[in-house]
Amino acid sequence: MSSEAQDKSGVSRRDFLNIAAFGAAIVSALGMLAGMFRMFKANVHYEESLKFKIGKPETFPSGMSRKIDDKNLFVLSDEGGIYAITAICQHLGCTVFATEWGYQCPCHGSRYDKDGNVIGGPAPRALPWYEITQGADGNLIVDASKEVAKGTKYKFS
Amino acid sequence: MNVNQSGLDKFKENILSLGRSFTESYLRSGKPTSDKSRTAAIVNNFFLHVQGAKTHINTLRPTYTLGLGLISLFLLIITIVSGVLLMIYYNPSIENAYNSVKDINYVVFAGKLMRNIHKWGGEGMIITVLLHMARVFYTSSYKKGREFNWIVGIMLLILTFGINLSGYMLPWDQLSYWALLIVANIIQSPKELTDSLGITGLFDIGAFSKEIFLGGLNAGKEALTRVYLLHIMLLPLFLFIFLGVHFWRIRKDGGLTKPDIYEPKPWDSNLMSVPDKKGGIFPTNKTYGLMELAHGRTPAVDKDVENSVLSWPNLLVAELAVFVATLAGVVVYAFFIDAPLKELANPLIPENPAKAPWYFLGLQELLSYSAFMGGVGLPGIALLGLALIPYLDREQDYVGTWFSNRQGKLVALQALVVGTIVNIGLLVFTVNFGWFRSWWPKVPQLLITLINPGNIWVGFMIVWSLWVIKKTGSTRMGAIALFTMFVVSYVIFTMMGTLFRGPNWDFFWSTSQWPVH
Amino acid sequence: MQSRFYLSLMLISGLVLLMFMAFAGYRELAPEWKKYQKEYKELLVKGAKDENAKKMAKNFSVELQQLYLGDLKRVDRCTSCHIGYDNPAMANAKLPFKQHSGDYLKNHSVEKYGCTICHYGQGRAPEKDEAHAAIKATAHAAGAGAQEKQARKAAPTGEEHKVHWDFPIIPVQYIQSSCSQCHDSEFLKNKGGGKVVKGEEFFREKGCKGCHKLNSIGGDLGKALDGVGSQPIAYFPMKDVAGERNTYSWHKQHFVDPRNLVPESEMKVNVTEEEADFLATYVLSLRAEEVPKKYRRIRDIAPAAAPDGEALYKMYCIGCHTTGKESMYDEIFRRTIPSIKNPAFLKAVDDKYIKTVVTEGRAGTQMTSWKTTAAGLTEQEVDKIVSYVANDRPKDKPELFDVTKYKADTKRGEDIYKVRCALCHGKKGEGALGINLRNPVVQNADLQFLAMTARDGRANTPMPPFGKKGVGLSDQDLLDVVSYVKTLSKAKK
Repeated sequence: MSSEAQDKSGVSRRDFLNIAAFGAAIVSALGMLAGMFRMFKANVHYEESLKFKIGKPETFPSGMSRKIDDKNLFVLSDEGGIYAITAICQHLGCTVFATEWGYQCPCHGSRYDKDGNVIGGPAPRALPWYEITQGADGNLIVDASKEVAKGTKYKFS
Repeated sequence: MNVNQSGLDKFKENILSLGRSFTESYLRSGKPTSDKSRTAAIVNNFFLHVQGAKTHINTLRPTYTLGLGLISLFLLIITIVSGVLLMIYYNPSIENAYNSVKDINYVVFAGKLMRNIHKWGGEGMIITVLLHMARVFYTSSYKKGREFNWIVGIMLLILTFGINLSGYMLPWDQLSYWALLIVANIIQSPKELTDSLGITGLFDIGAFSKEIFLGGLNAGKEALTRVYLLHIMLLPLFLFIFLGVHFWRIRKDGGLTKPDIYEPKPWDSNLMSVPDKKGGIFPTNKTYGLMELAHGRTPAVDKDVENSVLSWPNLLVAELAVFVATLAGVVVYAFFIDAPLKELANPLIPENPAKAPWYFLGLQELLSYSAFMGGVGLPGIALLGLALIPYLDREQDYVGTWFSNRQGKLVALQALVVGTIVNIGLLVFTVNFGWFRSWWPKVPQLLITLINPGNIWVGFMIVWSLWVIKKTGSTRMGAIALFTMFVVSYVIFTMMGTLFRGPNWDFFWSTSQWPVH
Repeated sequence: MQSRFYLSLMLISGLVLLMFMAFAGYRELAPEWKKYQKEYKELLVKGAKDENAKKMAKNFSVELQQLYLGDLKRVDRCTSCHIGYDNPAMANAKLPFKQHSGDYLKNHSVEKYGCTICHYGQGRAPEKDEAHAAIKATAHAAGAGAQEKQARKAAPTGEEHKVHWDFPIIPVQYIQSSCSQCHDSEFLKNKGGGKVVKGEEFFREKGCKGCHKLNSIGGDLGKALDGVGSQPIAYFPMKDVAGERNTYSWHKQHFVDPRNLVPESEMKVNVTEEEADFLATYVLSLRAEEVPKKYRRIRDIAPAAAPDGEALYKMYCIGCHTTGKESMYDEIFRRTIPSIKNPAFLKAVDDKYIKTVVTEGRAGTQMTSWKTTAAGLTEQEVDKIVSYVANDRPKDKPELFDVTKYKADTKRGEDIYKVRCALCHGKKGEGALGINLRNPVVQNADLQFLAMTARDGRANTPMPPFGKKGVGLSDQDLLDVVSYVKTLSKAKK
């Protein structure tokens, strides 16, 4: 900005005015800019929530496996408990389908085993498992925004 | 530099000096610490070179310019930035427009504030542009080669109105819809004239223009698309073109006007920073003008070089200060006052009264007398009259002096008082006694189109100015009288339409007297 | 030297700008719903029974809640404040944390239905006032007394229209009007939709369709009622509504006293407060918007037996003619409504005559034409109504009047008319206490019918028998009078 602002030879009254004025202008400009960039981040999305109810625990007896189509999710249940694995391929986002040995992606040939580990194809990472909680009304809630460690199975009453 | 340096050493050095060489590449004349480099900072900068390297002190005086042109520009910039941000969330379709504006208000971060800033910034521009025009007029700044720029300014005024109006229709609420309808019918109003002349059958210019504007016969989704196009693309495009010409002409016409005899005042020192000259090739006790290829008597080529200072930093500090002040003003206003948003547009329920935005309510008052004269005729005459002022008043004295001289002040005051009384008297008469149609219901429309309170007022303005010219022997005095009366009537008609007209366009002393629905 | 003026201007405005940016930032970061959710979190932590629950309560994240309902074209953010809507632990909590009452949510999952589909209000607004969109009456405007009414008229309008939303939240007393968007009345009867079912019943039996069209069937004295339940507030004259000025109050109060809200109204209702509630609930259920088919549960029930004559009479006629036994002067219509089930009347007219009147209506009166192209009844329905009306016709045939026996003298008839008839039927037959004799039906009726009416009178109405058994006019006199009456249409008023 002005050369006066850079003059370091002691802060006289006029320099103070200079620095304060430009300082206020610059700080408020930066604040404004920050606010503007914050505006681009939407507070709400016009899409279904990533957190959704899938039903009561008793609808998932041990040994069952169900694909929830509109949520791209496999919900499985065994002695260890209930767990949820995504059906979205970690390569480029196609939807995988279940096979005898695990999951297969139709787009570029990625293959996963039953726990979602990569066993072939270009996929860079395993299929994530999602957190399941029980809502106050007894329904199970899957939160597809929260990944949990592989092997995390939930028991509910 | 070592001749024997290896290529890699040179490359390494280039990397190390990257910062410095980049700085040098955009500050080609070094840091602005000397007169030369300060001048170069302006002249060599794409954005700044529209300004002169030196600025006359008179230009820096806030009492002379009131900063109005600058404030208008800054309001425009604020409005553009906030408008672009609003476009992230706004959806221009009649199904979603209203909901998206509601969401901007409710859930977008700072969305409500941004919408208020956009709205009030835009409407503020109307006020500052009009005041800027008044400043230019009263300081005779439309003379001495600036005649054309005055006309460019009028184009900018029209565009400012147009952009504001088109933006008013985008939220698609009740206000938008009924304003859109009113505007469409103003556009259609030449039909009133062609009807009464009986030539509508040949070419219905009114209906044709309306259909072009709405993209159909009714205000619907096509209309919203067109208004959106006007608001974000067409009108801004023309605005930028005219704005470029406007600034370029200011520079080519020799900067802002100033009095022929300029007397520096002690207080002027508060407006300038006289640089402590370090470095550079010029001695500190001398100033040098730049040889500029510009017409007219610029500060640089004329005698008053003593009264000018370097634009960097003097002008830039002033401009930045005005910008921050403008921004602060808009933000504070927008913080407290929310932009209106009514119920979703409903073509079955007319707003009563269906009012245009406030800056057009003066026109709507005139429209209530005659659609054609109010919507097209009188505004056309007014704009034509304004545009012709520099060509009909060619006296070259007192340029750069507010109200020219003592006589000018008196003429302006006289026009203010007489104009106010006559204009209010005309309105009181019309409100109390009605007009032709209330007396003779079968009066032909042509008679009303030709003789109505609006026309009578314009006629009075013209006659009064001619009388002033005759009495004073000066066209400048006539222009002052005419312009003052124009301003008076714009304010009075606008206030009439805004504050005193209620349902069915009846007169009410205040909105609290409106019948409860 | 220093451009002190501009630097000071920059400093001051810069500081003001910073200050207001801080204010604005605070306003953005501390919205109303956050306050509620923090309070809710405290409630959760306090109410936690074991360690695990406490941990979960502490993990509760404060964030804007939104139900995106693509199929319904709605976005509901109500649960941002009503956050405990599905938490049984909040059954006795205060609003807005209280659990949703009843077990409605069991079959209407909030994720699928949202809130505003039943409750209305502005789902997008995450602020109470904007979301509920309730329009508050000015303090002194409540009550319906004349004095308050005056005060209300003088009250400024500005305060009441702060929230611009056409559909304020529905008061609980009318909430059942939402149920019938998806459920039929057979279902609702036993499942807590009693009010709207009762309202529908009243609607059928109070003769509302006598004046109002619904699905293009009904009279046209009143406004058509299709979609009236979702009409915005601006359709209704609100200035005399007591309490909250919304469409819900309007409908209720309009049923209680139509002319208090619409002075020129001719609507005939006579209902108790409770019945007005039922009717208002039903009318509010007549909404224009169509809920998508997959949401609706209107079962294919066997079509109810086509209504019989009595049901039809109640549906279309009872509003004006009431029981039809007695004729009376009606203050609102400013005319006498004929007693169409009066034996004396029926004795004098045949079915064909009644049918003509029903199908064609009576021009110049409130009686609508009921043919298919007008009020929309089928011919069979008209026949049913006619035969129901004619039920009460006495068995014994009246003594016929042979008009050919005498020669009519209208001049003489006029003299008799002035003495005997003008008092009730008006000097020129324009009607007063008695019916208007200039109307086309009387004018087009045959002489025999008129003469018999004059001779025998109308039991249970002010019209006495003028024949030998009554007032004592001779048959010649009667014929003269009715012949004169038939000339009235040509006479000037």
